[in-house]
Amino acid sequence: MISVRHLTVIRNRRRILDDVSFDVRPGEILGVIGPNGAGKTTLFECVAGLQPIDSGTIDRGDGLFYVPDGIKPWPDQTVRWTLDLFARMYARAPEGQARAPVLHMDRLLEQRVSSLSKGETKRLNIALGLMTPHPVLFLDEPFDGLDLKQVRATMEVLRNVRRTLVLSINQLRDAARVCDRLLLLNEGRLVASGTPAELGDIEEAFLALT
Amino acid sequence: MVFRKDLGELFASRAFWLTLLAIGPLVGQAFIQAVDTYAEVSGGALPQGLSPLDGVVIPSLGAYELAIMLLFPFVAIRMISAERMSGAWKLMVQWPVTNAGHVLSKLCALTVAWLVALIPFGIAMVLWHCYGGHLYAAEMVSVMLGYLLRFLFTAAISMAAASLVPGAASAAVVVLAFTIGTWAIDFIAAGRGGWLQSLASYTPAAASRTFERGLLRLDVVLVLLIVACVALFITARYLRIGSIPAALAAVIAGAVLALGASHVRASADLSEDRRNSFPIADERALRTIRQPLTISVWLAAEDPRMNDFANVLAKLRRTMRDVNVRYPLEGRSGLFEAYGQIEYRLGGRVARNRSTTEEIVLETIYGIAGVPVPPHSDSAYTGYPLVARPAGAALIFYLLWPVTVSLVWMVSRRNRQTG
Repeated sequence: MISVRHLTVIRNRRRILDDVSFDVRPGEILGVIGPNGAGKTTLFECVAGLQPIDSGTIDRGDGLFYVPDGIKPWPDQTVRWTLDLFARMYARAPEGQARAPVLHMDRLLEQRVSSLSKGETKRLNIALGLMTPHPVLFLDEPFDGLDLKQVRATMEVLRNVRRTLVLSINQLRDAARVCDRLLLLNEGRLVASGTPAELGDIEEAFLALT
Repeated sequence: MVFRKDLGELFASRAFWLTLLAIGPLVGQAFIQAVDTYAEVSGGALPQGLSPLDGVVIPSLGAYELAIMLLFPFVAIRMISAERMSGAWKLMVQWPVTNAGHVLSKLCALTVAWLVALIPFGIAMVLWHCYGGHLYAAEMVSVMLGYLLRFLFTAAISMAAASLVPGAASAAVVVLAFTIGTWAIDFIAAGRGGWLQSLASYTPAAASRTFERGLLRLDVVLVLLIVACVALFITARYLRIGSIPAALAAVIAGAVLALGASHVRASADLSEDRRNSFPIADERALRTIRQPLTISVWLAAEDPRMNDFANVLAKLRRTMRDVNVRYPLEGRSGLFEAYGQIEYRLGGRVARNRSTTEEIVLETIYGIAGVPVPPHSDSAYTGYPLVARPAGAALIFYLLWPVTVSLVWMVSRRNRQTG
């Protein structure tokens, strides 16, 4: 579905990604975990075509959509305007809007994006991602800034979207709970991969390998 | 779809509304003063040859000169940098829209902003017409084309700066530095020959002056369009993944194209008083001269005679095929015996004098070319003197315009908040 081979990215003579190879299988939820600075965001942006790569190949299959972390798109507009924009852009049933109640976005529709909290912005960005028709969604830190209830609700939504998801996750327990398979990235290298069961105690594995 | 989004973003921009708020009173002040001055001169002893283009139209557009240099770049920069800073561009570049589509959409939205900003000027011209003032359509076309090109140039440079440099403030500094750089070229090139003078004739300010004289020069149109296209190409390239080699290649290709375009000689004098042309009989006579004419001008750049002579030279260049002008004093200072002298060389014959007036210059050229002096004809242009008071202008520009813009701004904000 998505195939990355020997991906290497060098910035200012530093290897941000070093010979990273992996596949994304249809229908799975793949988690990319790793300490801060491991290269998760660079990996996502390279796969999405937002950053140049130095070597390697990326086969994007039938296409993907990437939802970055830490963005507040169109802050002067309302949530409704932003959701409508994506609905019109893809001229399709606004899946994200349909999920707005689940993501607790319905009461925020008239709010300006600039006035949203970190968690609310995160949910808006996920809703925007869900409105795209791409078979694969890359979500960077989808649970960052959400409280426990919101994390659970968002996990529920993501499990039910019936799309292939690739998530970058800092919280290891969240990763083990929602993902079918995990990739562990450290200092730009892929150091382990497998199902949560195969990796065993995820926190121990993380500490041992990073 | 993208255009609608960009228009929405434009109307959400404070920079746009503040520019609109400022432009009305600025145009109004310039227009009221121009009408008053025009009335004073019209009622004076020598109102003949008085042109509304110089007296009212160009002064009223003065506010746009300021807007294009100091206000409009912020509106254009914001169109790009706001989306870059908020991270929205990372979503946008994944849409089924090409980068060129994004850039063109933003340019179209900015053109709408520019047309809206021109409304006060339109009102001023309607008022002038109502006072009984005269407007010549071809001159207006030339002037408006000049400002449209200048707007395109500024918008493209501002967008390129915003896509190349992180942050709106840094992009604004880059655009301001570029503008000041063009002023410096204008200043340094005054009264000099060679490539620097050629370059200076394509700076935005010099281009505006050309169009404001009712002169439509194809080379100026092409050079401004080429520079704008290169800037838009760089904007599109850098919207997704920046590539310095691609940007450099675009700049080099643009420079080569602009150099080629600068040799295009086609032009049209759209002014009603034919201020950019010699009398028709003289034009016919000059066109019979096939040999190259070399003129050496011993005048300093700041000498007022140089200004008079530059106008004659511009007409000569439009009329004769091969005119070379040298400035021997370029870069030299001190007292020279030959100072003030103008030397004409044509087919091995030489003539020298110190006159910068059109009649004497033409007689000198006819003399060394052996062409009979054509019969003199008086200009048919008598001018349009008008003694009128700018009635109602203060009310419209100082009160109604700011109030209307503020109300529309408030309503658009409220509409956005209520979806």
